[in-house]
Amino acid sequence: MFIEYSEEQNMLRDSAERYLRDNYSFESRQAAVKQARGFDADQWQTFAELGWLAMTFKEESDGFGGGALETMILCEQFGKYLVLEPYLESVVLVGGLVEAGAQPEIKQQYLSGLIAGERQGAFAYLEEGAVADPTFVQTTAESSADGFVLNGKKTVVLNGPEADCFIVSARTGAVGQDSSQGISLFFIHKDTPGLSLTQYKTYDGRSASELQLENVAVSDQALVGELHNGFATATPVFSRAMVAVCAEAVGAMDALLAATVDYTKQRKQFGQSISGFQVLRHRMVDMFMEIELTRSLLMATAWKLDNHAADAELCVAALKAKVGKAGRYVSHNAVQLHGGIGTTDEFSVGHYFKRLAVIGVMFGSRDSHLSRYSQLSTQLSVEPS
Amino acid sequence: MTDNVFRSDVRAFLAESLTPDIKRAGELMTSVFADFDATMEWHRILYAKGWVAPDWPEEYGGTGWTLSQRYIFQEECKLANAPALFAMGLQMLGPMLIRYGTAEQKKYYLPRMLSGEDVWCQGYSEPGAGSDLASLITAAVRDGDDYIINGSKIWTSYAQHSNKIFCLVRTAKEGKPQAGISFILVDMDTKGLSVEPIVGLDGTVEQCQVYFDDVRVPAANLVGAENQGWDVAKSLLEFERGGHNFTIDHKKQMAKIDHQASTQRSAGGGLWKDNPVFAAKVADVAVDALALEFTELRVKGAFEAGGNAGALSSLIKVMGTEIGQRFNELSLEIMAEHAFVKQLDALVPGFEGDAIGPSCGLTTMAEYINNRAATIYGGSAEIQRDIIAKRVLHL
Repeated sequence: MFIEYSEEQNMLRDSAERYLRDNYSFESRQAAVKQARGFDADQWQTFAELGWLAMTFKEESDGFGGGALETMILCEQFGKYLVLEPYLESVVLVGGLVEAGAQPEIKQQYLSGLIAGERQGAFAYLEEGAVADPTFVQTTAESSADGFVLNGKKTVVLNGPEADCFIVSARTGAVGQDSSQGISLFFIHKDTPGLSLTQYKTYDGRSASELQLENVAVSDQALVGELHNGFATATPVFSRAMVAVCAEAVGAMDALLAATVDYTKQRKQFGQSISGFQVLRHRMVDMFMEIELTRSLLMATAWKLDNHAADAELCVAALKAKVGKAGRYVSHNAVQLHGGIGTTDEFSVGHYFKRLAVIGVMFGSRDSHLSRYSQLSTQLSVEPS
Repeated sequence: MTDNVFRSDVRAFLAESLTPDIKRAGELMTSVFADFDATMEWHRILYAKGWVAPDWPEEYGGTGWTLSQRYIFQEECKLANAPALFAMGLQMLGPMLIRYGTAEQKKYYLPRMLSGEDVWCQGYSEPGAGSDLASLITAAVRDGDDYIINGSKIWTSYAQHSNKIFCLVRTAKEGKPQAGISFILVDMDTKGLSVEPIVGLDGTVEQCQVYFDDVRVPAANLVGAENQGWDVAKSLLEFERGGHNFTIDHKKQMAKIDHQASTQRSAGGGLWKDNPVFAAKVADVAVDALALEFTELRVKGAFEAGGNAGALSSLIKVMGTEIGQRFNELSLEIMAEHAFVKQLDALVPGFEGDAIGPSCGLTTMAEYINNRAATIYGGSAEIQRDIIAKRVLHL
């Protein structure tokens, strides 16, 4: 059997669960949303002290050597408690890219700060009009005497307002046979001349930016990964990020189902608890089944990524497609079964719904992952596990 | 022995022992049952090899295989298109008799079940008692050393081929309905017992109604004590639910759709496999089937660790059957008019005529219509949802 958690993994889950249950109430979360930063800096520092931010970095980077399974374990709890802090943006995405592809000088200067929670990052990979396709890149990076000069505009850069540094995708060469060819990644400090931000809030209580680049000059050292082939570095990081958000979705769906079961037991109409009505009972069972199927795919996918299974990418596509469908089914019905209260800002259910709505379409919606699944499944059949 | 060595041993045995006609019977299955004669021939071959009841304890004729080996055996049999053996005896009554039967019952019935001398059917449902099984009214009244049974059982699969039936009967009318039910074994040749076939939607007979008119049965045929039959039956329903692996079925369905989509043309000139709307629908079902595969592995892992499937077995029954039905619909879309053609003779192994239409569409319609029963039998999809609501969600 492939999914057996180690003692360390069980401890990680238990301690994350315990810490967040005791220290991350919905009320304090909502208070943090209203602050200028949009999250709680003390919490972020505590996450670092607990070792969560270092968990998935290699030991030579002063991490704990965890993989996709550890990412999954943490993010499932983050989803359950609607954690706002930018773990996905700063650790999974930027931390992952820096560790995998940054030049030694940048790595040395920034990685330990990212791991310690002292610095934050944001990955600027989307452009207006093509958010479904991160290989649509019109931002350019031209070779200069001592590096590159970048021009262009990136959209919906998650965690942009808080970031000390950005990784920006830019076109350095022509589109090849594959649309991801000719794209390179660059590490850029936020104070670099020519870089400007417009910041805003997102519906799920977080922050993001539009990023303008006007003759932003960077040195050769800024290149992350191979020239013209940034996607070779980005693709595994995206896969890990998809495991992260899908785990968050499973945690959020668990919380929604528990809240819905609880609410329908307490809520009385027609002289009885509405949980006695079979149409509602079966609806909640269908929510449960969607969650469990998604959880099975999630566990298997994380395991397959860690073990470099040939069908790992196929499973990532399946997982993301499944999360798109299950997230909608579970969140829509959680709101529906809560009735009016489910549609208010003061109650938690609507906030889980919004986070699931965001996750469902982030990094490719259900349809795009179904077609990716189709393509990949004709290339290989799933191995027996 | 490693699992890989075991798997190749099983493959070698199957390659050598599955005759073309038996294999053909497996290929032509349009429900959970294959052609009767071919199935019994296969039963006897497995019996001779000692592999007819892998799930039984070794002392009663089981194989002593690990869970993993049993899984591999089941998988390889299905992939090789071996017909599924009739489950009522080997999968259901057998394990139950081993648990609740008397020494005499075990000694008499188990060997006959293994050899195929006895073919068992199950008398549970009645015209007035389906999902609410405990409301059954077929009565057994004590008369000296016998019971006299009157009433009727329905949806009795393959009763027309069976020589024995195990029944739930009412032996008391007081108290909770469950408390007055007994479990009894009946010889189908007994005077007063008659079988009426029920023609299914595909035009063949799989189900029957069985009538009991003053049927006299020795009291020694009770399994468990009088009025304790419900507990015995409940353990059996667990065997029924836990005993099926849907992933192998789904993979075979998927392979069939791949073949159909790679050979049949869709509107506008291309093959079905190149139709993006259809490909997305296939991917939608395939993703759920993959999620169910990993759920089955989670359950298998729980078993191996000494735990049990719990309510995940209800989830697997609901999702496994519903996913299977969605695959049937996809096949029907491809085969379309070819699937209309009713040629029951071509579905019998040994048929030597020319079948109409592509061979990959021969069973499509029959599979589609017969598989509607999958969400009804063995605890309907709605009853399974009730079980999950109560036992897992504690609603």
